[in-house]
Amino acid sequence: MKRNHIITSDVTGKAKKTMWDEEDAGVDELLAVLGYKVKSSDMVDVAQKIEHLEGVLGNDDGLSLLASDSVHYNPSDLSSWLESMISELNPTTQPPIIDDSFMNIANTAIAAGNPPPSEVDSTSAFVDDLQAIPGNAIYPPTKKVKSSSSSAGASASSSYNPNPNPNPVVIVDSQENGIRLVHTLMACAEAVQQENLALAENLVKQAGMLAVSQAGAMRKVATYFVEALARRIYRLSPKPPQDSPAFQDLLQMHFYETCPYLKFAHFTANQAILEAFAGKKKVHVIDFSMKQGMQWPALMQALALRPGGPPTFRLTGIGPPSGDNTDHLQEVGWKLAQLADTIHVEFEYRGFVAESLADLEPAMLDLREDEVVAVNSVFELHQLLARPGAVEKVLSAVKEMKPEILTVVEQEANHNGLVFLERFTESLHYYSTLFDSLESSGNGGGGVDGGAISPASNQDKIMSEVYLGKQICNVVACEGPDRVERHETLTQWKSRLDSAGFEAVHLGSNAFKQASMLLALFAGGDGYRVEENNGCLMLGWHTRSLITTSAWKIR
Amino acid sequence: MVLIHENEDQVFHNDDDDDNDNGRFCINDNLDLLIEVLQRVDGRSLGSAACVCRQWCSIVRNDSLWEHLCFRHVSPPPVGVRPVVSALGGYRRLYMVCVRPVLSRLKRRRIGGGGGESEVVRRVWNQHEVELSLSLFCVEYYERLLVGGGRGAAAAGDSPASSLKFLCKPVNV
Repeated sequence: MKRNHIITSDVTGKAKKTMWDEEDAGVDELLAVLGYKVKSSDMVDVAQKIEHLEGVLGNDDGLSLLASDSVHYNPSDLSSWLESMISELNPTTQPPIIDDSFMNIANTAIAAGNPPPSEVDSTSAFVDDLQAIPGNAIYPPTKKVKSSSSSAGASASSSYNPNPNPNPVVIVDSQENGIRLVHTLMACAEAVQQENLALAENLVKQAGMLAVSQAGAMRKVATYFVEALARRIYRLSPKPPQDSPAFQDLLQMHFYETCPYLKFAHFTANQAILEAFAGKKKVHVIDFSMKQGMQWPALMQALALRPGGPPTFRLTGIGPPSGDNTDHLQEVGWKLAQLADTIHVEFEYRGFVAESLADLEPAMLDLREDEVVAVNSVFELHQLLARPGAVEKVLSAVKEMKPEILTVVEQEANHNGLVFLERFTESLHYYSTLFDSLESSGNGGGGVDGGAISPASNQDKIMSEVYLGKQICNVVACEGPDRVERHETLTQWKSRLDSAGFEAVHLGSNAFKQASMLLALFAGGDGYRVEENNGCLMLGWHTRSLITTSAWKIR
Repeated sequence: MVLIHENEDQVFHNDDDDDNDNGRFCINDNLDLLIEVLQRVDGRSLGSAACVCRQWCSIVRNDSLWEHLCFRHVSPPPVGVRPVVSALGGYRRLYMVCVRPVLSRLKRRRIGGGGGESEVVRRVWNQHEVELSLSLFCVEYYERLLVGGGRGAAAAGDSPASSLKFLCKPVNV
């Protein structure tokens, strides 16, 4: 019975495809894998026959008959095999109509919201085709079909009526579809891994359609992964079109506002730097991840208010070239200088444009004798792994700067494995968790605040999703030096930094308390977890750690 | 708040000023007393007090009242904070933008929704909460600088910058 249910939903998926996909007139792929040869054009027929057979098999007589007396020829030809079975058991019954199942799928698809911005945008065309089916007894969906505004993982109740009812209602179970979606994505990745591009192509289309039937976070993640896989399969562009740093900064700003990950990163790193600077009169921070400089106001304020008064604060910001003739780094520096002036902290700023961190030479940085140096890197070091030798070069350059402390914030995941399928699986889990947490932060979590989500925060959420989507695209679709999102776990970074001559500095309990408090402020704060791991702080969503802050000093 | 006024009215009934015709006490003539009273009320009441009349409004807008509101339960009161906070926009703004939402969120997490708004300020809050609020306040000021660069920081007005949106209640009270 279970197999029939799966095949029925499968049939509808394939039937959808045949209606508007003229090229695919051959044998159905998925059933072929199972060993059955069924022409795609016959699928509707086969499904109906299976339904009918199921109904007929409801009484025991039929089963025993089948088991003992029947002779079946060529069982791989499902269509005729079923026909022979049905005619043996019950020669006079009409085959039932199962058009209502198609309608329910259509309703689920429509209810699931707007089609994703991928090449699969056939929902409306699909519905029109359905109307053309000469069918009777189109059932309105009597069971509840959850709309996309509800949380992910909701499922329409699936019911299967084993009685020989001429109009069985088969409703697509979206939770089961969710499982199928994941399996399809994995199968597609495996096909890509094995260079079986034809199969991969079919699977990615299938996955695209399944993705539409989902709701919430699952749908968004699946859509991004489908798009990334499609890019990889079709080699749509040598690399995804390079966005201007200004746009990337904008996306990161929205990500900063929507969820606590970046804030957590900044606050914990600042706490480590603050403690390293205790009692020092002249301090110099070298920031590898300048962007908009959002990390530094909080540090400057903490320095301004520390007992004994603020030190002289010097900041060197390193960033990529702006591309549009504006000196973005310098502008950020001006704003920080304005803030420093307001809170009476002596401030000096220097911006360095570098295509890659590996181009940096410590001699350029004007390091002064009496200064205490801190080096800060938030989500920057992993990009160096794309070029061999780059990260070692940068770490030795950092050692030459003789920092009091090096703060590193990185994603806690291994997206740099040698095998594509492993990377794919890891990143699927990682980004699903991330999107889950985004979803709850938008809904005002916990139900305590309640109320409607303002359009502005929706926009923030969407921009954050785009920001993450670009990372997904890079992990899945790119290779070689273009693949810069080479995340690695804390253990891997630890061994790297150990061999480069650094040892870990424990982040104190102050950092832990501040981080916990910060997370408590966020809607959905119950889902976020701060964990301490050998002196490093990890921020995670429920049981999965997502980013790690660690601090290092020269051994 | 109005109740206190009436009590004082009855208590000081005999100590009338020469200015009053019928010997009734008027709080507006004893502003030091008014300020003493206002130093003990919560944020919501301060806001209501500002709506009473122009004189009260100008008194309530005095930042030191809000400083008292922010830090009267923190012991020891943090030193050196005043110039920083004043420069970043003042204690009233600090309270509205950071302190009130932070305290109400943290209280809610701890107790789970019990108590009303007035309970929020009466609890003692600790060093870490102070530091966190100040940091968030500074970040918010910087964001207004970033956003309002061309138009001038004044254009941002009283609405908090977007980095603190997560603190705002979705429904306006």
